[in-house]
Amino acid sequence: MEPIKSLKQIKKVTTEYFTAAHMARQNNKKVVYCNVFTPVEMLYALDMFPVYPENHAAIVGARKMAAEVSAAAEGMGYSMDLCSYARCDLGSIKAGISPTWGLPKPDLILVSNCQCGTLTKWFEVLGRMYSAPMILIDVPHSDDGAADIEAEKYVRAQLVDLMGRLEEMTGRKLDEAMFKETIRLSGEASDLWTRMLELGMKRPAPITVFDQFIAMFPMVSQRGTQIAVDFYSGLIDELEERSAAGISAVKNEKYRLFWDNLPIWPELGRLSTFLGDRGAALVTSIYTWAWSKLAVSQDDPLTDWTKQYLYTFNLHFKSRVDNYVDLARNYQLDGFLYHSNRSCKWISQDVQEVRAAVTEITGIPGVIIEADQNDTRQYSVETLEKQIDNFLDMLRKG
Amino acid sequence: MTSGDPWKPFQDIINDQWQEARRFKESAAGVVIGHLAPDVPEEILHASGAFPVSIEGASSAVSMAQAHIPGYTCSHVMGTLDLGLSGKLDIIDALVIPYVCDSTRNLSHLWKRLFPDKPSELLRLPKRLEFEGARDYLITEYRRLYEWACGLTGNLPDTERLAESLKLYEKSRALLRRAFLKHRSSPDVWTVTLLRSLFVSASRSDRSKHLEWMKALPWDCPENTESDLAAVYLKGKVWDPPQLSGIMDELGMCLAEDETAAGHRAVMVEGVTNGDPFEALADRSLATIPYTGYHVEPTGLVNGFLERVKKSQASGVILLNPKFCEAAAFDTPDFVNALKNESIPNLVLETSARSFSVGQLKLRLEAFREMLGMEM
Ligand code: SF4
Ligand code: SF4
Repeated sequence: MEPIKSLKQIKKVTTEYFTAAHMARQNNKKVVYCNVFTPVEMLYALDMFPVYPENHAAIVGARKMAAEVSAAAEGMGYSMDLCSYARCDLGSIKAGISPTWGLPKPDLILVSNCQCGTLTKWFEVLGRMYSAPMILIDVPHSDDGAADIEAEKYVRAQLVDLMGRLEEMTGRKLDEAMFKETIRLSGEASDLWTRMLELGMKRPAPITVFDQFIAMFPMVSQRGTQIAVDFYSGLIDELEERSAAGISAVKNEKYRLFWDNLPIWPELGRLSTFLGDRGAALVTSIYTWAWSKLAVSQDDPLTDWTKQYLYTFNLHFKSRVDNYVDLARNYQLDGFLYHSNRSCKWISQDVQEVRAAVTEITGIPGVIIEADQNDTRQYSVETLEKQIDNFLDMLRKG
Repeated sequence: MTSGDPWKPFQDIINDQWQEARRFKESAAGVVIGHLAPDVPEEILHASGAFPVSIEGASSAVSMAQAHIPGYTCSHVMGTLDLGLSGKLDIIDALVIPYVCDSTRNLSHLWKRLFPDKPSELLRLPKRLEFEGARDYLITEYRRLYEWACGLTGNLPDTERLAESLKLYEKSRALLRRAFLKHRSSPDVWTVTLLRSLFVSASRSDRSKHLEWMKALPWDCPENTESDLAAVYLKGKVWDPPQLSGIMDELGMCLAEDETAAGHRAVMVEGVTNGDPFEALADRSLATIPYTGYHVEPTGLVNGFLERVKKSQASGVILLNPKFCEAAAFDTPDFVNALKNESIPNLVLETSARSFSVGQLKLRLEAFREMLGMEM
């Protein structure tokens, strides 16, 4: 198939980002390690530079360097059972091997645990390694997703505290105009990202989840900048043109599938070809949808972040199932591919029951494949392909 | 009261975990609430009129849970699910799961789906212990837990009653603290296994009875300051595998400190019994050595641990790491490095009920014991 031209820019965007990250200190910007579910817009408004160790780890995985650098982390005493993002990041530091020339040292480490608890522990290791101060935004899990007013107070108070501490650290007041502008740019990028995801609803789909994984970088690392907005505007224009011209992402699209969990980064190309050859299009996934809900209002962003962290990104069982059921309808899915990801216990431990619940409601089958987002030693790609093939066969036979 | 062997009541409960819960159920037709370690305040469940009982999934064999949760899950969570699926938790009416890590939170999801008739509550323990709002949030969580438990027993929440329960548990904790000191001064009589039996049985018994039984223990036995047992510092989630205490006794080891989640760590802090009981519980919890799933300033975490080890005068440290426990395994390398820098011998045991061999464990502990012998 004809590749999506806009995706070629990703290399340039990535290179420029990491160059800027390495230059940040020289440009008098403080470097902040963070995860996506933190208010990076505050950092920009204080002229700080956000850096995402998870992103670095994903690039290590996609470049098939995970086995080598993970081994270095294991040599440091980090068990092979731990999240491979963490092992790749720590191992990359130890071995001095990195596709991005490493990461600049942090002045601050900022993390929220509405994602997973692993990230906190991994970042604690980085905090000790670099003697950098660390701030956790602690987000209680309300189990079934019901409103928890006390938790809202607790999380919001931490965001207020964060703003004060960042101001103290930088010695400047948050630039209100810049804050609002960054929030606006974040919202715009998030909306564009959502539009791009929705294009996958078209039949045939003009973009697959594999392309979205590649396109993710600006959304994750450059939310709040014009770069992300420009990139997604261009991508959407191209996808709309392709769609109008009848160009589909997968030739002779026969099966429309959902991808659960993180990608298997080292196998993106291989699995994309494998599925494409069989007329199977991955049209949507939970992972790419996660970045679609990052917009907050300019009037009361702290309250919006509080609610997002508590109720949107906190992966409650029921809302996850409801979400999959909606996606099945909106994307006219034929099947679900569930990646049981050894690295990410947070997303994976519910997967057997999520599959059962979704199939109970929709009647749409799903297959669970056990692999790892980065560590090629933890799975056999041939076995994965065989499992997927059997599943497609089952779909074909109806 | 018991006559004869004063340790027997505790041993009986070790042998039959549900003995006391069953008695309670038969006599009072009451509500039995199971809970998982760590840091579930049993006095809240007790004050609701329920019988709180601790569940240790870690040491159970797993045969049914794999159909519902991936194999790369710690034994504590997998074992608990398996106990439920195999009907071994039929005696409990409800379950409290403390939110200490991703696995416990996922267990809560799965429990709700698989056991819709056995209510469960995820106790949302705050992780950012050094943030002042954590205390307020913890207090509201305790209040919520109390209301939930009272909803099950049909009693009205009553702060006076909770204060009474708190007093009872404080007395129990005080005696357990004394027992730990006794173990340190007379380790050849108050062996590791016997000491363990007191701690484990406490969370499976009626606390008033447990207190009475404890009073009959040989508190007057002479001190043995000449003991040549090697005192070790133990850190980890639970005493997994349970055979560990017997092997330690056999190899001539005793405890300089027990920092396991529900071990001496859980009773170490003396709480107050006047004032608001929810506040007292929160203050006690926040003053307790943080469990591995919580967050404190990272360098302070390691330094604090090292200081405690040094203060305990342990000859060595055993780190019990449950296999697949992300929370513990990220801390371990820096703990080990800190110990190495101080030339403190240490042993990391990766434990799992699914891949466990007593023989192998013993071999490793023997080698460790020999090493400690050389250090002494
Ligand atoms: S892969 Fe999963 S466990 Fe690892 S950092 Fe990401 S969310 Fe956390
Ligand atoms: S903290 Fe570790 S041992 Fe405890 S439940 Fe979580 S993963 Fe299992």
